[in-house]
Amino acid sequence: MMRFAQVSCLLLFTAAATVAQNDNNSEFFEKSVRPLLVEKCQVCHGAQMATSGLDLSNGEGFMKGGSSGPLISHESPENSLLLNVVSYSGTLKMPPSGKLEDSQIAVLKEWVNRGGEWPGTQPVRAAALAAETFSKEQLEYWAFQPVADPAPPQVRTEAWVRNEVDRFILAKLEAENVSPAAKADKATLLRRAYFDLTGLPPTAAEGEAFLADGSLRAFEEVVDRLLASPRYGERWGRHWLDVARYADSTGNDEDHRYSYAWRYRDYVIDSFNNDLPYDQFVREQIAGDLMPAEDGSEVNRRGIIATGFLALGPKAIAQQDKTKMVYDVYDEQVDVTSKAFLGLTVACARCHDHKFDPILTRDYYSMINFFANTKSFTDSTTHVAKLLFVPLADKEEWQAYEREQGEIRRTKAELAAGPQIDVEGFVASQIDRIPAYLAGSAADAELQRRWTAFLADGKERPYLDAWRNAPADQQAAEAEKVAAAFGEAFGEWREKTRKYREASTKPLEEITMGAPAAPQIVAGEEPLLYDLYVAKDGPFSYMTEEAQAAVLQPETVARNAQLKAELAVLEAAAMPEPDRACAVVDKNPDETITQTVFIRGDYNSKGEPAPKTFPSILEGLNQEPVQTKGSGRLELAQWISSPDNQMTARVMVNRIWQGHFGDGLVRTPDNFGRMGERPTHPQLLDYLSKRFMEDGWSIKSVHRRIMLSAAYQMSSEASARQLESDPENRLISRFNRRRLEVEEIRDGLLAIGGALDETMGGSMQEGFGTDGENSNSRMSISPDEQTRRTVYLPLRRANLPALLNIFDFGDATTTQGRRAVTNVAPQALFMMNSEFVSRQARSLAEQVLGLNGDATRIQLAYLSVLNREPSSEDADFAQTYLTAARDRFKDFSDLDAWQSLCRILLASNEFIYVN
Amino acid sequence: MEARKAFQDVLKQKRAKPLSRRALLRDSALGFGALGLQSLLAAEASTGNPLAPREPHFKPRAKRVIFLFMHGGPSSIDIFDYKPYLVKHHGEPLPIERPLAFADGKVGPLTKPQWDFKPGGQSGMMISDLFPHVRERADDLCLIRSMVGEGVDHGAALLQTFTGSSTFTRPSMGSWSVYGLGSENSNLPGFVTIKPTLSHGGSKNWASAFLPGSYQGTAIGHSGMKVDDIQKEPIEYLINKSLSTDQQRFELDMLQNINRRHADMNAQDPQLEARINAFELAFRMQIQAPEAFEVERESEATKKLYGLDDPTTADFGWQCVLARRLIARDVRFVQCTHSYKWDQHSDLVEKHTQNAAEVDKPIAALLADLKARGLMEDTLVIWAGEFGRTPVSESGNGRDHNPYGYSIWMAGAGVKPGMVYGATDEIGYHAAENRMHIHDFHATVLHILGLDHEKLTFPYAGREFRLTDVAGFVHHDILS
Repeated sequence: MMRFAQVSCLLLFTAAATVAQNDNNSEFFEKSVRPLLVEKCQVCHGAQMATSGLDLSNGEGFMKGGSSGPLISHESPENSLLLNVVSYSGTLKMPPSGKLEDSQIAVLKEWVNRGGEWPGTQPVRAAALAAETFSKEQLEYWAFQPVADPAPPQVRTEAWVRNEVDRFILAKLEAENVSPAAKADKATLLRRAYFDLTGLPPTAAEGEAFLADGSLRAFEEVVDRLLASPRYGERWGRHWLDVARYADSTGNDEDHRYSYAWRYRDYVIDSFNNDLPYDQFVREQIAGDLMPAEDGSEVNRRGIIATGFLALGPKAIAQQDKTKMVYDVYDEQVDVTSKAFLGLTVACARCHDHKFDPILTRDYYSMINFFANTKSFTDSTTHVAKLLFVPLADKEEWQAYEREQGEIRRTKAELAAGPQIDVEGFVASQIDRIPAYLAGSAADAELQRRWTAFLADGKERPYLDAWRNAPADQQAAEAEKVAAAFGEAFGEWREKTRKYREASTKPLEEITMGAPAAPQIVAGEEPLLYDLYVAKDGPFSYMTEEAQAAVLQPETVARNAQLKAELAVLEAAAMPEPDRACAVVDKNPDETITQTVFIRGDYNSKGEPAPKTFPSILEGLNQEPVQTKGSGRLELAQWISSPDNQMTARVMVNRIWQGHFGDGLVRTPDNFGRMGERPTHPQLLDYLSKRFMEDGWSIKSVHRRIMLSAAYQMSSEASARQLESDPENRLISRFNRRRLEVEEIRDGLLAIGGALDETMGGSMQEGFGTDGENSNSRMSISPDEQTRRTVYLPLRRANLPALLNIFDFGDATTTQGRRAVTNVAPQALFMMNSEFVSRQARSLAEQVLGLNGDATRIQLAYLSVLNREPSSEDADFAQTYLTAARDRFKDFSDLDAWQSLCRILLASNEFIYVN
Repeated sequence: MEARKAFQDVLKQKRAKPLSRRALLRDSALGFGALGLQSLLAAEASTGNPLAPREPHFKPRAKRVIFLFMHGGPSSIDIFDYKPYLVKHHGEPLPIERPLAFADGKVGPLTKPQWDFKPGGQSGMMISDLFPHVRERADDLCLIRSMVGEGVDHGAALLQTFTGSSTFTRPSMGSWSVYGLGSENSNLPGFVTIKPTLSHGGSKNWASAFLPGSYQGTAIGHSGMKVDDIQKEPIEYLINKSLSTDQQRFELDMLQNINRRHADMNAQDPQLEARINAFELAFRMQIQAPEAFEVERESEATKKLYGLDDPTTADFGWQCVLARRLIARDVRFVQCTHSYKWDQHSDLVEKHTQNAAEVDKPIAALLADLKARGLMEDTLVIWAGEFGRTPVSESGNGRDHNPYGYSIWMAGAGVKPGMVYGATDEIGYHAAENRMHIHDFHATVLHILGLDHEKLTFPYAGREFRLTDVAGFVHHDILS
């Protein structure tokens, strides 16, 4: 897909086109432009000071530009930084002493339009283009080369080879003179395969059956059976959810819930279980909403749900700079897309060209362009932005639902309207009497009591100061003024509420712009109106139903009774809300937006246009931009999922390899760039990538290929020679021992305790929005109290459960292709002290005690926890412990002693490490 | 069979005498097989205990930090930033263009400070009547009146205050400190946050993000919990609710024996050794750590000093005593949170009065107590909210968020006492003199701990990251 042949042609055209620089331009510059620059700019941006690195005393300095980048954009002269700053339209305004005269600005505009050339200096275009090219090293970097199809190498020890994977590994070992480890024993292999594919240990019975099965195909059958198990999707789906930085809330500031994120999680699990071709999996997650439904229905339910990948990232929804907020979201979407599928850190190029990889800032903004016309909010402009939840219903169903809800809203509006009219009418009739109330001489005793209390409550009321401080003879006049001021404000208010009532109670068909917002009285803005009419202790306040009762007309009371009955009927008959998804859609499907480079990442400093193209290092410098209207995500998805893409298959194959061996062939799964690691077996990576694509992007076929190799079935025991010559196992001379991940620990313990609930899918959490500061519902649901698999527990980004934090789960905010592994005391505390572990140990002890004789009991405990038969020494040891424990602790029941032994096995290194 | 004999020997030995806590510790240190303390320490070194103490970049001025966080945004111009101009021009319109605000709606008029300011201590630092006890300790404070942040909303401002970034997930300042210096007490976490808020970023404010999980802050309860409930189990999984210590040690000995045999069969795997150690450390931790949380052991005089006897001050007083107890046990970074109370968009006078009453006395007590115990010599105390509040009113009787110029203070090791640093403009809206951006604040705190903020880096996603990102400079003028 590379088009560098054409690139070099482009570079050859240098000054040739602009050599014919005519004298007019030169004269114009010397007569009009240079004097202006000298007078207005050079004091600060001259050779002496060069503020912000900008020196306008010569052509070279001008070409170079300052810390905000080049002053002139040749692609889009009208967006040139120079014109931007002198026109005072952005945040950066120059000169700071005051805006230039219009005529002076016109001179600069004219100059920029003529090409903005500084006589006697090399044209900027060539310099810019030259700076954009890549070094030889970058162009030849391994990851950017097309996927090759290397022939499996010859090896000396043919007998070791089980499939072609082994040839690549053995050839290297033979070259280094290291022998591969022996084959792992059956029990080890079974445990390894179970945890690898399902995240759960084999049951005692499954273990015994496998150990007894002498057939040559026994292991292959286990692999096939496990790949077909629904538990497989839960385990490998979770790996992908790490990559997709999956969580159920926005996290950054207000931590609002993504109430439908779980549908995406279920989609991922289903996709793995159904072996959805990976290229399709990629396309759906980027652009499923733009793809037709496979079953021909109007709504592509699965496709929409799949875009949860883009929608459920961390967001700062209370950020008040709303432009920055939405660009942070696009940035996050570029970041997850490029890391997850391409193994590239494109988002590093937001402010400047990538420091280490050949990713240009323009490449970044071209990627942004695919997301800048993509919608993640229902409304991004509100104080706390409103998240988008996309209906999974066809238009008709959704409209029917909205109609019903509209009718309910309208009825409620009518219900509120009647009392409001009555109250307003009554208060209006009292305005003339305000002077009497102020004087304490009004006839209405109840109202006068309220007024007297109001006037005596000691609160500061500036609008009454003039009346209060007036000499006796002026008081009446001042009281009239208060009445008049209130009358005026109240009159305006009545006009607003009248309009609102009219709009909100109209027949639905006439409400075109959605429900209108009710008018509000803000305390600080209209204190007189607020204090008298709204505040709890206001003398004209009729905000509660009880207070209103005194002033309602009998007709209103009757009408409201009827409306209430109608409302009850409507609400009872209303259809349930159609399913929705946490997903994205195109903002303006019929429009093409203009995205430019933002100089130094600042959206106020617009640079050259960044049309929709793909990273130049992969696709070339002179691509034809994607022209489709709307976001263009489908084209992006197709480009990424194309068999010609250099990265996509390699990155995924590497993730799968890592899922089995602990280390990938590239040990930095999310970063194939220069700062990442080089592949230990580049040819094997390409070989597997080719087969992956040939097999219709079948992930399960990659598993089979890997697991049926001799390499996968090696023991994890390292020989002295292996440890010495290959301590990090980069030659893959043995299997890597690995610690179970937190899901495997928790789910495994539940399974062993017989408590695992295998219910799949759905949500364990209800509701929207945020929760009170001190509310326990801010916490994620405690994993200790639940029995479903860990993958189904909702994840509040701002408050992940302690268990997950303790066992290296990560923070679910960014692509995490590989988790850290630590061994720290808090993990030991969990094994020693948690009720959860204690319960599973007790439950296993109960199962064990169901058998007769300590020997069989010990055997079952070992088979259940460690998936192997106890050695005679093990059995002896266990027996001794039980006896000693009962002897020492007189209050220990049999069950207590067995629980203790079971907890020991569950806490043992042998349980938590897979060989 | 040798292992079995060893095991039985131990069982015998243990049967012979009841186990005291002291004996248990000795046993675990000296008694059992290869699990002697020496090997334990050796293994710790060889497997690279992430919390092992590390040398700072240069001589530190302070070894530990207590961060008193006032969540919600206390109003600087009503407490620490003396602005007589506002008294004179009370009620006038804002003379400048209002910067990006949090509140919708109209710009209120300039509003004078709601409390009188008086000079405190020898230094004569002007502090309002809202904090009379702290004012008495004015000579301990290094008051910074020129803080600048970028977050206009709470979430962004908290995240930036604690992690440097309001948009990306970054490790918190406490995590960086422990990453840089390690911990000198292996029985307690290196970074503790007492009653933190679960909102506005929640745990991200004390998370280690891409740093290894060992540097994560350990939360002691959270803002919604009562002190009594927290004390039952201050750290998750610390307390075993069904076994006696004796029973547990007995069980652990068997576990370690099994682990030992397993490790011996899988020679030279440091991960297995590390996990064996982790269990020994955990056992020591659960015996020794609870004592650190037993605030009730304090003398009556101390309890009174911190206001534990008064329901108004009891909660934050407890936090301050606990912070002092943890610091005294060499916990590196302790944070106390007066949770989400200071956000007075309205009713500022009433609510700020209540809030200040809850913290003023405990804070002054903490300063006095640290000094009396000699802990002030190497402890830095920080007082800050996530921003200040505007000089213009909101909804008549409140103030909006103001990250453009607000006050914080530091005290103790590393900073000049009795100093006022920086200033805002005359209306107290923007920092004008010696502006200290949050990045600068971070750089300065790390500097006080002996760490160069440009050298304290961690490789992640293809580049080196640091607390101050690509910004921040140390404000040397405030250093002692």
